[in-house]
Amino acid sequence: MKKYILKRLFQLIPLLIGMTFISFIIIQLSPGDYFTQLKMNPEISSETIEKMRKIFGLDKPIIVQYFYWLKNIFTFNLGESFSYHVPVSYLIKIRLKNTVSLSIFSLFLTWIIAIPLGIYGGVKEGRWIEKFLSFIAYIGISIPSFFLAMLIIFFISKTAILPLGGTTSIFYEGASYLEKFIDYLKHLLVPGIVLTLTGIGSLYRLMKNNFLEALNSPYVFTTYAKGIPTYKIYFKHALRNAINPMITIFGYELSGILSGAGLVEIITGWPGMGRLILEGVLSQDLYLVMASLLIGGILLILGNLFSDVLLALTDPRVRLK
Amino acid sequence: MKIVLKRLKKRNKISYISFCIIIFLYSVAFFADFIAPYPYNKQFREYPLCPPTRIHFFDHNKNFHLRPFVYEIKLVNPALNQYEVIKNKIYPVYFFVKGEKRKILGIFTSERYLFGTKQGKIFLFGTDIHGRDIFSRILYGARISLSIGVIGVSISFVLGFLIGGISGYFGGKIDNLLMRLVEIFMMFPSFYLMLALRAVFPLNLSSFQIYILIVVILSLIGWAGLARIIRGMVLSIKEEEYVLAAKALGLSTFKIIFRHIIPNTSSYTITAITLSIPGYILGESALSLLGLGIQEPYPSWGNMLSVSVGNLRILSTAPWMLIPGFFIFLTIICFNFLGDGLRDVLDPKNW
Amino acid sequence: MREILKLENVWVGNQEVKILRDINFEVKEREILSIVGESGCGKSLTLRTIIKLLPKNLKLLEGKIYFEEKDITEFQDMEKIRGKKIGMIFQEPSSYLNPLFTIGNQIEEAIKNGKDRKNKKDRVFKILEEMGLSKNVYYQYPHQLSGGMQQRAMIAMAIINNPYLLLADEPTTALDITTAFGIVNLLKNLVNIHNMSIIFVTHDISLASFISDKIIVMYAGIIVEKGNAELIYNNPFHPYTKKLINCLPEKYQKGERIKVIDGEVPTYKNLPKGCPFNPRCEYKIEICEKKLPEEIALENRDVRCFKYGKIMES
Repeated sequence: MKKYILKRLFQLIPLLIGMTFISFIIIQLSPGDYFTQLKMNPEISSETIEKMRKIFGLDKPIIVQYFYWLKNIFTFNLGESFSYHVPVSYLIKIRLKNTVSLSIFSLFLTWIIAIPLGIYGGVKEGRWIEKFLSFIAYIGISIPSFFLAMLIIFFISKTAILPLGGTTSIFYEGASYLEKFIDYLKHLLVPGIVLTLTGIGSLYRLMKNNFLEALNSPYVFTTYAKGIPTYKIYFKHALRNAINPMITIFGYELSGILSGAGLVEIITGWPGMGRLILEGVLSQDLYLVMASLLIGGILLILGNLFSDVLLALTDPRVRLK
Repeated sequence: MKIVLKRLKKRNKISYISFCIIIFLYSVAFFADFIAPYPYNKQFREYPLCPPTRIHFFDHNKNFHLRPFVYEIKLVNPALNQYEVIKNKIYPVYFFVKGEKRKILGIFTSERYLFGTKQGKIFLFGTDIHGRDIFSRILYGARISLSIGVIGVSISFVLGFLIGGISGYFGGKIDNLLMRLVEIFMMFPSFYLMLALRAVFPLNLSSFQIYILIVVILSLIGWAGLARIIRGMVLSIKEEEYVLAAKALGLSTFKIIFRHIIPNTSSYTITAITLSIPGYILGESALSLLGLGIQEPYPSWGNMLSVSVGNLRILSTAPWMLIPGFFIFLTIICFNFLGDGLRDVLDPKNW
Repeated sequence: MREILKLENVWVGNQEVKILRDINFEVKEREILSIVGESGCGKSLTLRTIIKLLPKNLKLLEGKIYFEEKDITEFQDMEKIRGKKIGMIFQEPSSYLNPLFTIGNQIEEAIKNGKDRKNKKDRVFKILEEMGLSKNVYYQYPHQLSGGMQQRAMIAMAIINNPYLLLADEPTTALDITTAFGIVNLLKNLVNIHNMSIIFVTHDISLASFISDKIIVMYAGIIVEKGNAELIYNNPFHPYTKKLINCLPEKYQKGERIKVIDGEVPTYKNLPKGCPFNPRCEYKIEICEKKLPEEIALENRDVRCFKYGKIMES
């Protein structure tokens, strides 16, 4: 087990290096010399430029610059944002919290709804209720998250049942911790619901198919032949085996959630990483874009690592290798 | 092809219907010049955010008219975009009506269009803030939104096929290296990667440049997944007996790939392509929606929605502005249904 | 001897096809019965019919099943019989064992009576020992065991409740010959120790004659010949059985050409009219293409062939 996780960690190193390299290359590809662009910007003081030149080796060859940049990343120095006049790491720290809470919130909701529905669909395969659920799932898979977000905003604008935009209400200052938490949650609800609704469909279909596959597998036939009660067959044997592949796709799911979150954040006005990177692109704030991209990638890597560990915990074939 | 469609019609009605809708959408996009009652950039300044025009058969005196008609509409409150229907002004709707001269498909000019009114205005889906007909803009926008998916997927596919094929067929170090590269690309959340790649290029480009740019960005994001799928396929087919047999017979690598491996991947490939088109359509829409893609006055389904983003007033008073989103949804669900149907039908096990 | 199981005129299929047709046989106490035939002849389906776990698209169309002389055809509460009175083992133990649970867990959950956890565990240890497995196996997962050990664990699971009948669906096919021999001996011993009857499904007629008291030979969903194992093996009556035995390697002289049965096994959707074996049969007469022969009781055996029917008629 320990060996397996260490091995996975070890495998991540080239991946991380590759990711930083690609993030770096993307910035280098942008037209014009970045350094001159800095100098032409009247809002940036010559001291800042001098400081950055030293830290990031901006006048050195590209490959050397890459290593300068890499060295800085490990000390969490992600450079200066030119539009905000603050360190990029500071901006990311604020926004990352919101993106992570949005992603975890909707991941949790999606799984807690889709897994039982998938089991139900698997048991009812071929009946009208299963066909109905599958049709709804198709709609969920196909509806663009931004379109659904806009529809929900339209609905809320008519009914005003939930707050829109931002993370906090005006009365925020002076409220108790609990009130603050509830307020945050209320604001989280709109982007969270959009992400959940667009995520349930595919997860439901996967779970249903896995459950069906497990039900039709030889080892479940054995349990029938053993004469153990049906509920135990469903919830012990079929469920465990159906959940396992779901854990493997968790990393992939996370990629979808993060991407979806990015867009939904922008539409619903939730200040997360997605909006940060868009702001970076619109103001040509390249260090901000580069750092956001990298952080997005690192989040995904962490998610994959998490699912690897989880898989090792649940699957003896992985654990005891 | 015909056999596949027949089987689709018999086995999976809903994907057959989806196929018909897709064909319909593409032909409508192709003939947009002829079907659209107005050019995409024609602004009717006196009709901003006008609600969809109703087509009537009965007038306010309950008299039946065989030829459908529309009423005259008038903006009464510019601040709230309130319109009033003037009941005594009736304009019949004609087919092949005469209008302004327009180029059709860029080749010949015409002054007759599929439908319209001689006087008065007909806005089937309403108008946007500049008073442009949303119906016409959706038709023109379909050209961009629908073509980008197909072009993008073809480029990604060529890339994916080459890289995945090489990786799977030759294996060893090449495979290892290429797959690490694929992994790195897949480890970035696609939305972030899309924006970062967009940041590399200047914000204001000509619309043609932007179109090409979007295709390139989307293909750069999409190739990795396809390459991985194709590699897996090639790996499994490589182990199949008929390929081993071909090898034992001394066939050249080239022949094995083109005579045995490619034909055997085709059914899977068609399904994979169909199911990945929605991703490209979504990518274009998202970029245009955020103002990073197709620029005004050219319409795409994505950028037609961008005015409503964060603008609660427009969203709540003019919900017809969201109609382009419905078309994105319709196209995507049709491709998904079609892809699933094809997977079902093309699988030799189901014959 | 007591009759443990009896199938009477059993037909299985659906509206389109009939797969099992007119199956009749019985199993007595402490008897090993082998069902022999090519793949797809309905051997495994016969077992599934007995334990009432038919594939979704098939059902029992006609006939009666008696277990311990009681009619269980309409019996709903099969959970009380499965595992407790009838055990079952399979061809590929690796796919019939759940990969995510320990062997101990999977055997223990099969125990029907007894609530005490400790007691249950002891029973599992005891049965593992009887199967020639170490105590360690209790804590191991299926993928950690060899094929032979997996099959032993499977058997342990099937007989933990001391059932009267064990259904063995080609339990040795996926194993290599020495391992298979061990399993066969184990099964033979079970009959004596646990007072058990076994239905042993195999495609290997010489193995069947070695292990069993009685043999049933099936072809395309019907029983073509059944009776004393040794007699059938040494002197087959039905043309199909004859050919099956003549194809066995041990029946060859050195340098002789390999014999095969000409033609193919028919599919259930286009079964030939009359006797399903008639297109491949060298004794074919006119009536073979028209009517399905009845089972004809001869001395020591029943044969379903007009060749022997004529004698009776005349």
